[in-house]
Amino acid sequence: MHKIYRYRNLSFKVPDETEVLLMVEFISDGNLGHTAINVPGSGDSEIENSGSVNIGIGSNLRGDKTTVSTEVANLIPQEDEIRVAYRLNGQLIKEHVNLKSEADKVKIILYIKFPEP
Amino acid sequence: MKLNIVCFLLALLPVWLTAQEKLSKLLPPSSPASGILGLQPTTVLAPKSYQALETALFSNFNNNSGSIVPNDFALEFTPYWTQNHSLSVDEYLYPKSSIDQVIRNSSFSIASTQSFLLGDSTLSNALAFGYRTTFYFGNNKDREAVELFTSQLSMDQKVESKIVSEAEYLIENKKTANQKEFMAAIRNTIINAVYESGKYGRLKEAEEFAEDILAKSALIPPLDTAAPDPFLDSLYSLIGQKLSTEIVFNQFKTYVLERYGFSLDVAYAGVLNFPANKFESSYIVRQSFWVTPTYRFKDKLGFLKVMGVIRYEWYNTGYYNSYFNGVKTYENNLDYGLSVAGEFMKFSLSIELVGRKSHSEFPAGNDAEGNALYRKEQNTDFQYIASFNYNLTDQVVLSYSLGNRFEPVLNHHNTLVSLLMLNIGFGSPAKKDIDWEQ
Repeated sequence: MHKIYRYRNLSFKVPDETEVLLMVEFISDGNLGHTAINVPGSGDSEIENSGSVNIGIGSNLRGDKTTVSTEVANLIPQEDEIRVAYRLNGQLIKEHVNLKSEADKVKIILYIKFPEP
Repeated sequence: MKLNIVCFLLALLPVWLTAQEKLSKLLPPSSPASGILGLQPTTVLAPKSYQALETALFSNFNNNSGSIVPNDFALEFTPYWTQNHSLSVDEYLYPKSSIDQVIRNSSFSIASTQSFLLGDSTLSNALAFGYRTTFYFGNNKDREAVELFTSQLSMDQKVESKIVSEAEYLIENKKTANQKEFMAAIRNTIINAVYESGKYGRLKEAEEFAEDILAKSALIPPLDTAAPDPFLDSLYSLIGQKLSTEIVFNQFKTYVLERYGFSLDVAYAGVLNFPANKFESSYIVRQSFWVTPTYRFKDKLGFLKVMGVIRYEWYNTGYYNSYFNGVKTYENNLDYGLSVAGEFMKFSLSIELVGRKSHSEFPAGNDAEGNALYRKEQNTDFQYIASFNYNLTDQVVLSYSLGNRFEPVLNHHNTLVSLLMLNIGFGSPAKKDIDWEQ
Protein backbone atom coordinates (compact mmCIF):
# COMPACT_ATOMS: atom_id res chain seq x y z
CA MET A 1 0.00 0.00 0.00
CA HIS A 2 1.18 3.52 -0.85
CA LYS A 3 0.82 6.68 1.25
CA ILE A 4 2.09 10.27 1.29
CA TYR A 5 3.28 11.96 4.49
CA ARG A 6 3.87 15.73 4.54
CA TYR A 7 5.68 17.58 7.32
CA ARG A 8 5.20 21.35 7.11
CA ASN A 9 6.52 24.19 9.26
CA LEU A 10 9.99 22.77 9.81
CA SER A 11 12.65 25.35 10.52
CA PHE A 12 16.41 25.35 11.02
CA LYS A 13 18.30 28.49 12.03
CA VAL A 14 21.61 28.85 10.26
CA PRO A 15 24.13 31.75 9.91
CA ASP A 16 24.83 33.14 6.43
CA GLU A 17 28.21 31.53 5.90
CA THR A 18 27.51 28.17 7.54
CA GLU A 19 27.25 25.20 5.24
CA VAL A 20 24.22 22.95 5.74
CA LEU A 21 24.60 19.20 5.57
CA LEU A 22 21.37 17.23 5.12
CA MET A 23 21.50 13.62 6.25
CA VAL A 24 18.87 11.00 5.48
CA GLU A 25 19.08 7.87 7.61
CA PHE A 26 17.00 4.74 6.97
CA ILE A 27 16.68 3.37 10.50
CA SER A 28 14.39 0.41 9.89
CA ASP A 29 15.69 -2.63 8.02
CA GLY A 30 15.18 -3.43 4.35
CA ASN A 31 14.39 -0.02 2.89
CA LEU A 32 15.14 1.00 -0.67
CA GLY A 33 14.78 4.69 -1.43
CA HIS A 34 15.74 7.93 -3.11
CA THR A 35 15.64 11.54 -1.89
CA ALA A 36 15.51 14.71 -3.99
CA ILE A 37 16.14 18.15 -2.47
CA ASN A 38 14.97 21.42 -4.06
CA VAL A 39 16.67 24.50 -2.63
CA PRO A 40 16.05 28.15 -3.57
CA GLY A 41 17.91 28.93 -6.80
CA SER A 42 20.24 26.35 -8.26
CA GLY A 43 22.04 23.58 -6.35
CA ASP A 44 19.35 20.89 -6.13
CA SER A 45 20.73 17.55 -5.00
CA GLU A 46 19.88 13.89 -4.45
CA ILE A 47 20.65 11.09 -2.00
CA GLU A 48 20.37 7.40 -2.79
CA ASN A 49 19.18 5.34 0.20
CA SER A 50 20.88 6.60 3.40
CA GLY A 51 23.49 9.32 3.07
CA SER A 52 24.23 13.01 3.34
CA VAL A 53 24.70 15.96 1.00
CA ASN A 54 25.78 19.58 1.29
CA ILE A 55 22.76 21.70 0.28
CA GLY A 56 24.54 25.09 0.45
CA ILE A 57 25.33 27.92 2.86
CA GLY A 58 22.74 29.69 5.01
CA SER A 59 22.50 32.85 2.92
CA ASN A 60 21.59 30.82 -0.20
CA LEU A 61 18.78 29.03 1.60
CA ARG A 62 16.77 32.12 2.64
CA GLY A 63 13.44 33.14 1.17
CA ASP A 64 11.70 30.13 -0.33
CA LYS A 65 11.14 26.94 1.59
CA THR A 66 13.39 24.03 0.71
CA THR A 67 11.48 20.86 -0.20
CA VAL A 68 12.79 17.39 0.48
CA SER A 69 11.04 14.41 -1.11
CA THR A 70 11.92 10.82 -0.23
CA GLU A 71 10.49 7.72 -1.90
CA VAL A 72 10.83 4.69 0.37
CA ALA A 73 9.82 1.07 -0.25
CA ASN A 74 10.24 -1.59 2.41
CA LEU A 75 10.82 -5.03 1.00
CA ILE A 76 11.52 -7.42 3.86
CA PRO A 77 8.89 -9.47 5.67
CA GLN A 78 10.54 -9.34 9.11
CA GLU A 79 10.28 -5.53 9.32
CA ASP A 80 7.09 -4.01 10.73
CA GLU A 81 7.70 -0.31 10.20
CA ILE A 82 9.33 2.33 8.02
CA ARG A 83 11.47 4.69 10.09
CA VAL A 84 13.53 7.46 8.52
CA ALA A 85 15.48 10.21 10.32
CA TYR A 86 16.36 13.59 8.79
CA ARG A 87 19.23 15.57 10.27
CA LEU A 88 20.61 19.03 9.48
CA ASN A 89 24.23 19.47 10.58
CA GLY A 90 23.76 16.49 12.89
CA GLN A 91 20.60 17.83 14.53
CA LEU A 92 17.44 15.77 14.17
CA ILE A 93 14.72 17.82 12.48
CA LYS A 94 12.22 15.03 11.79
CA GLU A 95 11.89 11.32 12.38
CA HIS A 96 9.23 9.75 10.23
CA VAL A 97 7.66 6.48 11.32
CA ASN A 98 4.74 4.51 9.98
CA LEU A 99 3.63 0.92 10.38
CA LYS A 100 3.90 -1.20 7.27
CA SER A 101 0.33 -2.33 7.85
CA GLU A 102 -0.55 1.28 7.01
CA ALA A 103 1.83 1.65 4.04
CA ASP A 104 4.92 -0.25 2.90
CA LYS A 105 5.72 2.20 0.09
CA VAL A 106 5.70 5.85 1.09
CA LYS A 107 6.47 9.38 -0.02
CA ILE A 108 7.85 11.62 2.73
CA ILE A 109 7.82 15.33 1.99
CA LEU A 110 9.47 17.96 4.20
CA TYR A 111 9.15 21.76 3.89
CA ILE A 112 12.04 23.51 5.63
CA LYS A 113 12.70 27.19 6.26
CA PHE A 114 16.24 28.37 6.98
CA PRO A 115 15.93 31.67 8.92
CA GLU A 116 18.87 33.63 10.37
CA PRO A 117 19.66 32.88 14.04
CA MET B 1 -18.61 -24.88 29.77
CA LYS B 2 -14.82 -24.99 29.24
CA LEU B 3 -15.39 -26.13 25.71
CA ASN B 4 -17.80 -23.28 25.05
CA ILE B 5 -15.35 -20.71 26.38
CA VAL B 6 -12.51 -22.06 24.24
CA CYS B 7 -14.71 -22.20 21.13
CA PHE B 8 -15.80 -18.62 21.79
CA LEU B 9 -12.17 -17.45 22.18
CA LEU B 10 -11.07 -19.33 19.06
CA ALA B 11 -13.91 -17.75 17.12
CA LEU B 12 -12.89 -14.29 18.31
CA LEU B 13 -9.16 -14.66 17.62
CA PRO B 14 -9.28 -14.22 13.84
CA VAL B 15 -11.42 -11.10 14.20
CA TRP B 16 -9.12 -9.60 16.81
CA LEU B 17 -5.96 -10.36 14.86
CA THR B 18 -7.41 -9.01 11.62
CA ALA B 19 -8.16 -5.79 13.44
CA GLN B 20 -4.45 -5.46 14.22
CA GLU B 21 -3.65 -5.24 10.46
CA LYS B 22 -0.70 -7.62 10.57
CA LEU B 23 1.52 -8.11 7.57
CA SER B 24 3.38 -11.21 6.51
CA LYS B 25 1.56 -14.51 6.40
CA LEU B 26 2.07 -17.00 9.22
CA LEU B 27 3.04 -20.61 8.60
CA PRO B 28 1.90 -23.78 10.39
CA PRO B 29 3.65 -24.49 13.73
CA SER B 30 7.06 -26.14 13.36
CA SER B 31 9.24 -25.16 16.30
CA PRO B 32 11.95 -27.62 17.46
CA ALA B 33 10.60 -27.53 21.02
CA SER B 34 7.08 -28.54 20.03
CA GLY B 35 8.56 -31.12 17.67
CA ILE B 36 10.55 -32.97 20.31
CA LEU B 37 7.71 -32.84 22.81
CA GLY B 38 5.53 -34.58 20.26
CA LEU B 39 3.03 -31.71 20.14
CA GLN B 40 3.40 -31.66 16.38
CA PRO B 41 3.60 -35.10 14.82
CA THR B 42 5.84 -34.34 11.84
CA THR B 43 9.57 -35.08 11.89
CA VAL B 44 10.46 -32.58 9.16
CA LEU B 45 10.77 -29.06 10.59
CA ALA B 46 9.55 -26.66 7.92
CA PRO B 47 11.50 -23.37 7.75
CA LYS B 48 10.27 -20.81 10.25
CA SER B 49 7.85 -18.02 9.34
CA TYR B 50 8.97 -14.36 9.42
CA GLN B 51 7.26 -13.57 12.73
CA ALA B 52 9.47 -12.36 15.58
CA LEU B 53 7.15 -14.10 18.05
CA GLU B 54 4.66 -16.84 17.45
CA THR B 55 2.70 -19.17 19.68
CA ALA B 56 0.80 -22.37 19.11
CA LEU B 57 -2.00 -24.13 20.92
CA PHE B 58 -2.39 -27.86 20.43
CA SER B 59 -5.28 -30.19 20.95
CA ASN B 60 -5.58 -33.87 20.16
CA PHE B 61 -8.98 -35.19 19.09
CA ASN B 62 -8.05 -38.54 20.57
CA ASN B 63 -7.83 -37.63 24.23
CA ASN B 64 -9.92 -39.48 26.77
CA SER B 65 -12.46 -36.79 27.56
CA GLY B 66 -13.29 -36.21 23.92
CA SER B 67 -12.96 -32.46 24.39
CA ILE B 68 -10.80 -30.17 22.27
CA VAL B 69 -9.62 -27.94 25.12
CA PRO B 70 -5.98 -27.11 24.31
CA ASN B 71 -3.62 -28.06 27.16
CA ASP B 72 -0.32 -27.86 25.29
CA PHE B 73 1.44 -24.68 24.35
CA ALA B 74 4.49 -23.67 22.28
CA LEU B 75 6.27 -20.39 21.68
CA GLU B 76 9.06 -19.43 19.28
CA PHE B 77 10.99 -16.19 19.50
CA THR B 78 13.47 -14.61 17.03
CA PRO B 79 15.25 -11.87 19.00
CA TYR B 80 17.19 -10.26 16.13
CA TRP B 81 14.08 -8.87 14.43
CA THR B 82 12.75 -7.09 17.51
CA GLN B 83 15.16 -4.19 16.89
CA ASN B 84 16.17 -1.99 13.94
CA HIS B 85 19.64 -2.40 12.45
CA SER B 86 19.44 -0.07 9.40
CA LEU B 87 20.10 -3.03 7.11
CA SER B 88 19.95 -2.24 3.41
CA VAL B 89 18.09 -4.62 1.11
CA ASP B 90 21.42 -5.88 -0.23
CA GLU B 91 22.82 -6.48 3.28
CA TYR B 92 19.60 -8.29 4.16
CA LEU B 93 19.62 -10.57 1.13
CA TYR B 94 23.37 -11.19 1.06
CA PRO B 95 24.82 -11.24 4.59
CA LYS B 96 28.58 -10.69 4.60
CA SER B 97 29.31 -13.77 6.67
CA SER B 98 27.79 -17.02 7.84
CA ILE B 99 27.88 -15.61 11.39
CA ASP B 100 25.48 -12.86 10.27
CA GLN B 101 23.10 -15.49 8.91
CA VAL B 102 23.27 -17.45 12.16
CA ILE B 103 22.55 -14.38 14.29
CA ARG B 104 19.71 -13.07 12.14
CA ASN B 105 17.95 -16.41 11.79
CA SER B 106 18.44 -17.72 15.32
CA SER B 107 15.20 -18.52 17.03
CA PHE B 108 14.54 -19.97 20.46
CA SER B 109 11.52 -22.04 21.30
CA ILE B 110 9.86 -23.48 24.37
CA ALA B 111 6.91 -25.81 24.65
CA SER B 112 5.09 -27.27 27.59
CA THR B 113 2.60 -30.00 28.26
CA GLN B 114 0.77 -31.10 31.39
CA SER B 115 0.02 -34.52 29.99
CA PHE B 116 3.42 -36.18 29.60
CA LEU B 117 2.52 -39.81 30.22
CA LEU B 118 4.81 -41.91 32.45
CA GLY B 119 5.12 -45.70 32.38
CA ASP B 120 2.52 -46.17 35.14
CA SER B 121 0.05 -44.00 33.16
CA THR B 122 0.31 -41.02 35.50
CA LEU B 123 0.44 -37.57 33.93
CA SER B 124 3.39 -35.27 34.54
CA ASN B 125 4.68 -31.90 33.40
CA ALA B 126 7.28 -31.62 30.67
CA LEU B 127 9.08 -28.65 29.20
CA ALA B 128 10.96 -28.60 25.91
CA PHE B 129 13.49 -26.04 24.75
CA GLY B 130 14.83 -25.62 21.25
CA TYR B 131 17.03 -23.58 18.97
CA ARG B 132 17.31 -23.30 15.22
CA THR B 133 18.85 -21.20 12.51
CA THR B 134 18.78 -21.11 8.73
CA PHE B 135 21.45 -20.78 6.07
CA TYR B 136 20.44 -19.58 2.62
CA PHE B 137 22.70 -20.41 -0.31
CA GLY B 138 22.39 -17.75 -2.99
CA ASN B 139 23.11 -18.39 -6.63
CA ASN B 140 23.97 -16.29 -9.68
CA LYS B 141 20.44 -16.28 -11.06
CA ASP B 142 19.13 -15.06 -7.72
CA ARG B 143 21.73 -12.25 -7.75
CA GLU B 144 20.76 -11.25 -11.27
CA ALA B 145 17.05 -11.20 -10.43
CA VAL B 146 17.64 -9.06 -7.31
CA GLU B 147 19.89 -6.62 -9.22
CA LEU B 148 17.26 -6.23 -11.94
CA PHE B 149 14.47 -5.55 -9.44
CA THR B 150 16.67 -3.13 -7.47
CA SER B 151 17.68 -1.12 -10.54
CA GLN B 152 14.08 -0.93 -11.84
CA LEU B 153 12.64 0.19 -8.50
CA SER B 154 15.51 2.64 -7.84
CA MET B 155 15.05 4.16 -11.29
CA ASP B 156 11.34 4.77 -10.69
CA GLN B 157 11.98 6.16 -7.19
CA LYS B 158 14.54 8.58 -8.60
CA VAL B 159 12.08 9.85 -11.23
CA GLU B 160 9.26 10.23 -8.71
CA SER B 161 11.30 11.92 -5.98
CA LYS B 162 12.65 14.53 -8.45
CA ILE B 163 9.20 15.34 -9.84
CA VAL B 164 7.59 15.43 -6.37
CA SER B 165 10.30 17.65 -4.90
CA GLU B 166 9.98 20.16 -7.75
CA ALA B 167 6.16 20.07 -7.75
CA GLU B 168 5.97 20.67 -3.99
CA TYR B 169 8.54 23.47 -4.29
CA LEU B 170 6.50 25.23 -7.00
CA ILE B 171 3.25 24.98 -5.04
CA GLU B 172 4.59 25.67 -1.54
CA ASN B 173 6.49 28.74 -2.67
CA LYS B 174 3.59 29.94 -4.86
CA LYS B 175 5.62 30.00 -8.04
CA THR B 176 2.56 29.32 -10.18
CA ALA B 177 -0.90 30.91 -10.01
CA ASN B 178 -3.05 28.14 -11.45
CA GLN B 179 -3.10 24.58 -12.76
CA LYS B 180 -2.20 25.60 -16.34
CA GLU B 181 0.91 27.46 -15.20
CA PHE B 182 1.83 24.66 -12.84
CA MET B 183 1.60 21.94 -15.50
CA ALA B 184 3.61 24.05 -17.92
CA ALA B 185 6.27 24.57 -15.24
CA ILE B 186 6.47 20.89 -14.21
CA ARG B 187 6.53 19.57 -17.82
CA ASN B 188 10.28 19.99 -18.29
CA THR B 189 11.02 18.44 -14.91
CA ILE B 190 9.02 15.36 -15.89
CA ILE B 191 10.84 15.07 -19.23
CA ASN B 192 14.29 15.52 -17.69
CA ALA B 193 13.65 13.14 -14.78
CA VAL B 194 12.30 10.41 -17.04
CA TYR B 195 14.98 10.82 -19.71
CA GLU B 196 17.94 11.07 -17.29
CA SER B 197 16.80 7.98 -15.43
CA GLY B 198 17.43 5.92 -18.55
CA LYS B 199 14.00 4.30 -18.34
CA TYR B 200 13.40 5.34 -21.93
CA GLY B 201 16.21 5.36 -24.48
CA ARG B 202 15.07 8.38 -26.50
CA LEU B 203 14.14 11.94 -25.54
CA LYS B 204 11.02 11.67 -27.69
CA GLU B 205 9.68 8.86 -25.48
CA ALA B 206 10.25 10.97 -22.37
CA GLU B 207 8.36 13.85 -24.04
CA GLU B 208 5.49 11.52 -24.90
CA PHE B 209 5.47 10.38 -21.25
CA ALA B 210 5.12 14.01 -20.10
CA GLU B 211 2.43 14.80 -22.70
CA ASP B 212 0.40 11.81 -21.56
CA ILE B 213 0.60 12.97 -17.92
CA LEU B 214 -0.40 16.51 -18.95
CA ALA B 215 -3.40 15.17 -20.90
CA LYS B 216 -4.55 12.94 -18.04
CA SER B 217 -4.10 15.71 -15.45
CA ALA B 218 -7.28 17.29 -16.86
CA LEU B 219 -9.23 14.31 -15.48
CA ILE B 220 -8.07 14.57 -11.85
CA PRO B 221 -9.41 16.93 -9.16
CA PRO B 222 -8.48 20.50 -10.21
CA LEU B 223 -5.70 22.37 -8.44
CA ASP B 224 -6.89 24.52 -5.56
CA THR B 225 -3.86 26.60 -4.58
CA ALA B 226 -5.28 27.03 -1.06
CA ALA B 227 -5.56 23.23 -0.63
CA PRO B 228 -3.29 21.67 -3.27
CA ASP B 229 -2.70 18.22 -1.71
CA PRO B 230 -5.63 16.33 -3.38
CA PHE B 231 -4.49 17.54 -6.82
CA LEU B 232 -0.83 16.74 -6.16
CA ASP B 233 -1.63 13.31 -4.71
CA SER B 234 -3.66 12.45 -7.82
CA LEU B 235 -0.90 13.71 -10.10
CA TYR B 236 1.69 11.55 -8.31
CA SER B 237 -0.65 8.60 -8.61
CA LEU B 238 -0.87 9.16 -12.39
CA ILE B 239 2.91 9.28 -12.67
CA GLY B 240 3.32 6.17 -10.51
CA GLN B 241 0.84 4.25 -12.68
CA LYS B 242 2.61 5.34 -15.84
CA LEU B 243 5.95 4.21 -14.42
CA SER B 244 4.42 0.91 -13.15
CA THR B 245 6.22 1.47 -9.83
CA GLU B 246 3.62 -0.42 -7.81
CA ILE B 247 3.88 -3.47 -10.07
CA VAL B 248 7.70 -3.58 -9.84
CA PHE B 249 7.51 -3.10 -6.06
CA ASN B 250 4.97 -5.91 -5.59
CA GLN B 251 6.97 -8.28 -7.80
CA PHE B 252 10.16 -7.51 -5.86
CA LYS B 253 8.40 -7.96 -2.52
CA THR B 254 6.97 -11.32 -3.60
CA TYR B 255 10.37 -12.42 -4.86
CA VAL B 256 12.01 -11.64 -1.50
CA LEU B 257 9.24 -13.52 0.32
CA GLU B 258 9.38 -16.60 -1.90
CA ARG B 259 13.02 -16.57 -2.88
CA TYR B 260 13.77 -19.76 -4.74
CA GLY B 261 16.87 -21.84 -4.18
CA PHE B 262 18.49 -23.96 -1.52
CA SER B 263 18.44 -23.37 2.24
CA LEU B 264 19.50 -25.41 5.23
CA ASP B 265 17.87 -25.42 8.65
CA VAL B 266 19.85 -26.66 11.64
CA ALA B 267 18.00 -27.26 14.89
CA TYR B 268 18.42 -28.71 18.37
CA ALA B 269 15.87 -29.46 21.08
CA GLY B 270 15.66 -31.20 24.43
CA VAL B 271 12.85 -32.35 26.75
CA LEU B 272 12.89 -31.80 30.47
CA ASN B 273 10.47 -33.96 32.45
CA PHE B 274 9.32 -33.48 36.04
CA PRO B 275 8.09 -37.00 36.89
CA ALA B 276 7.21 -36.12 40.50
CA ASN B 277 5.88 -32.71 39.43
CA LYS B 278 8.60 -31.12 41.56
CA PHE B 279 11.04 -28.58 40.14
CA GLU B 280 14.10 -30.08 41.87
CA SER B 281 13.36 -33.52 40.44
CA SER B 282 13.90 -33.25 36.69
CA TYR B 283 15.44 -35.30 33.88
CA ILE B 284 16.56 -34.53 30.36
CA VAL B 285 14.51 -37.26 28.74
CA ARG B 286 15.62 -37.00 25.12
CA GLN B 287 17.47 -34.67 22.78
CA SER B 288 17.25 -34.18 19.02
CA PHE B 289 19.42 -32.65 16.36
CA TRP B 290 17.91 -31.85 12.95
CA VAL B 291 19.41 -30.96 9.60
CA THR B 292 16.72 -29.95 7.13
CA PRO B 293 17.73 -29.05 3.56
CA THR B 294 14.97 -27.26 1.60
CA TYR B 295 14.62 -26.41 -2.04
CA ARG B 296 12.01 -23.98 -3.33
CA PHE B 297 11.30 -24.08 -7.04
CA LYS B 298 10.78 -21.01 -9.21
CA ASP B 299 8.24 -19.71 -11.74
CA LYS B 300 5.38 -22.15 -12.45
CA LEU B 301 6.60 -24.55 -9.78
CA GLY B 302 7.00 -21.72 -7.25
CA PHE B 303 4.20 -23.21 -5.11
CA LEU B 304 6.29 -26.33 -4.52
CA LYS B 305 8.80 -26.93 -1.76
CA VAL B 306 10.81 -30.11 -1.19
CA MET B 307 12.39 -30.71 2.21
CA GLY B 308 14.65 -33.48 3.36
CA VAL B 309 15.39 -34.39 6.96
CA ILE B 310 18.09 -36.11 8.92
CA ARG B 311 17.38 -36.25 12.63
CA TYR B 312 19.38 -37.90 15.36
CA GLU B 313 17.39 -38.52 18.54
CA TRP B 314 18.95 -39.66 21.77
CA TYR B 315 16.86 -41.21 24.56
CA ASN B 316 17.97 -41.20 28.20
CA THR B 317 17.72 -44.95 28.86
CA GLY B 318 18.45 -44.51 32.58
CA TYR B 319 15.35 -42.35 32.92
CA TYR B 320 13.20 -44.69 30.83
CA ASN B 321 14.35 -47.72 32.85
CA SER B 322 13.27 -45.92 36.03
CA TYR B 323 9.93 -44.49 34.94
CA PHE B 324 8.92 -46.83 32.10
CA ASN B 325 9.64 -50.16 33.72
CA GLY B 326 9.55 -53.04 31.24
CA VAL B 327 9.24 -50.80 28.19
CA LYS B 328 11.89 -51.25 25.53
CA THR B 329 13.48 -47.93 24.55
CA TYR B 330 16.23 -47.51 21.97
CA GLU B 331 18.92 -45.06 22.96
CA ASN B 332 20.03 -44.00 19.47
CA ASN B 333 17.56 -43.19 16.70
CA LEU B 334 18.34 -41.92 13.22
CA ASP B 335 15.44 -40.58 11.15
CA TYR B 336 15.74 -39.83 7.46
CA GLY B 337 13.16 -38.90 4.85
CA LEU B 338 11.55 -36.13 2.90
CA SER B 339 8.51 -33.93 2.76
CA VAL B 340 6.80 -32.33 -0.22
CA ALA B 341 4.70 -29.23 0.40
CA GLY B 342 2.47 -27.25 -1.92
CA GLU B 343 1.12 -23.78 -1.14
CA PHE B 344 -2.08 -22.65 -2.83
CA MET B 345 -3.39 -19.21 -1.84
CA LYS B 346 -4.78 -19.61 1.72
CA PHE B 347 -4.12 -23.30 2.20
CA SER B 348 -1.18 -25.63 1.95
CA LEU B 349 -0.78 -29.37 1.89
CA SER B 350 2.27 -31.40 2.88
CA ILE B 351 3.10 -35.08 2.93
CA GLU B 352 6.09 -36.52 4.74
CA LEU B 353 7.63 -39.98 4.59
CA VAL B 354 10.30 -40.72 7.20
CA GLY B 355 12.15 -43.91 8.05
CA ARG B 356 13.82 -44.67 11.40
CA LYS B 357 16.74 -46.85 12.35
CA SER B 358 17.22 -47.46 16.06
CA HIS B 359 19.81 -49.31 18.05
CA SER B 360 20.64 -49.73 21.69
CA GLU B 361 22.45 -52.00 24.11
CA PHE B 362 20.36 -53.96 26.59
CA PRO B 363 21.55 -55.83 29.73
CA ALA B 364 22.09 -59.55 29.05
CA GLY B 365 23.07 -60.84 32.44
CA ASN B 366 26.62 -61.39 33.73
CA ASP B 367 29.55 -63.52 32.68
CA ALA B 368 31.25 -66.09 34.93
CA GLU B 369 33.36 -63.36 36.53
CA GLY B 370 30.36 -61.20 37.33
CA ASN B 371 30.88 -58.61 34.60
CA ALA B 372 27.73 -57.13 33.08
CA LEU B 373 26.95 -58.34 29.58
CA TYR B 374 25.00 -56.44 26.95
CA ARG B 375 23.35 -57.40 23.71
CA LYS B 376 22.93 -54.95 20.84
CA GLU B 377 19.47 -54.70 19.29
CA GLN B 378 18.31 -52.87 16.19
CA ASN B 379 14.88 -51.81 15.01
CA THR B 380 13.32 -50.01 12.04
CA ASP B 381 10.11 -48.02 11.79
CA PHE B 382 8.28 -45.85 9.27
CA GLN B 383 6.13 -42.73 9.58
CA TYR B 384 3.81 -41.13 7.00
CA ILE B 385 1.74 -38.06 7.77
CA ALA B 386 -0.33 -35.67 5.67
CA SER B 387 -1.00 -32.14 6.96
CA PHE B 388 -3.55 -29.63 5.77
CA ASN B 389 -3.08 -25.99 6.80
CA TYR B 390 -5.49 -23.13 6.34
CA ASN B 391 -4.72 -19.44 7.01
CA LEU B 392 -7.82 -18.17 8.83
CA THR B 393 -6.12 -14.77 8.68
CA ASP B 394 -2.53 -13.85 7.84
CA GLN B 395 -1.76 -14.30 11.55
CA VAL B 396 -3.76 -17.40 12.44
CA VAL B 397 -3.17 -20.82 10.90
CA LEU B 398 -5.34 -23.83 11.55
CA SER B 399 -3.61 -27.15 10.81
CA TYR B 400 -4.84 -30.71 10.79
CA SER B 401 -2.55 -33.76 10.54
CA LEU B 402 -3.54 -37.33 9.79
CA GLY B 403 -1.33 -40.38 9.38
CA ASN B 404 0.78 -43.04 11.01
CA ARG B 405 3.60 -42.10 13.37
CA PHE B 406 6.57 -43.99 14.75
CA GLU B 407 5.67 -46.45 17.49
CA PRO B 408 5.41 -44.44 20.73
CA VAL B 409 7.28 -45.52 23.87
CA LEU B 410 3.99 -46.45 25.54
CA ASN B 411 1.09 -48.16 23.77
CA HIS B 412 3.11 -49.43 20.82
CA HIS B 413 0.05 -49.97 18.67
CA ASN B 414 -1.28 -46.46 19.12
CA THR B 415 0.29 -44.98 15.98
CA LEU B 416 -2.68 -43.06 14.60
CA VAL B 417 -2.12 -39.29 14.26
CA SER B 418 -5.17 -37.05 14.23
CA LEU B 419 -4.12 -33.65 15.51
CA LEU B 420 -5.58 -30.18 15.32
CA MET B 421 -3.24 -27.21 15.80
CA LEU B 422 -3.65 -23.45 15.98
CA ASN B 423 -0.68 -21.14 15.38
CA ILE B 424 -0.86 -17.45 16.25
CA GLY B 425 1.68 -14.81 15.20
CA PHE B 426 2.58 -11.67 17.14
CA GLY B 427 5.18 -10.21 14.79
CA SER B 428 3.91 -6.68 14.29
CA PRO B 429 3.25 -3.99 16.84
CA ALA B 430 -0.19 -2.41 16.83
CA LYS B 431 -0.72 1.28 16.11
CA LYS B 432 -0.77 2.10 19.80
CA ASP B 433 2.79 0.76 20.11
CA ILE B 434 4.19 3.62 18.02
CA ASP B 435 4.92 6.96 19.58
CA TRP B 436 3.33 9.24 16.99
CA GLU B 437 4.49 12.35 18.87
CA GLN B 438 8.16 11.66 18.11
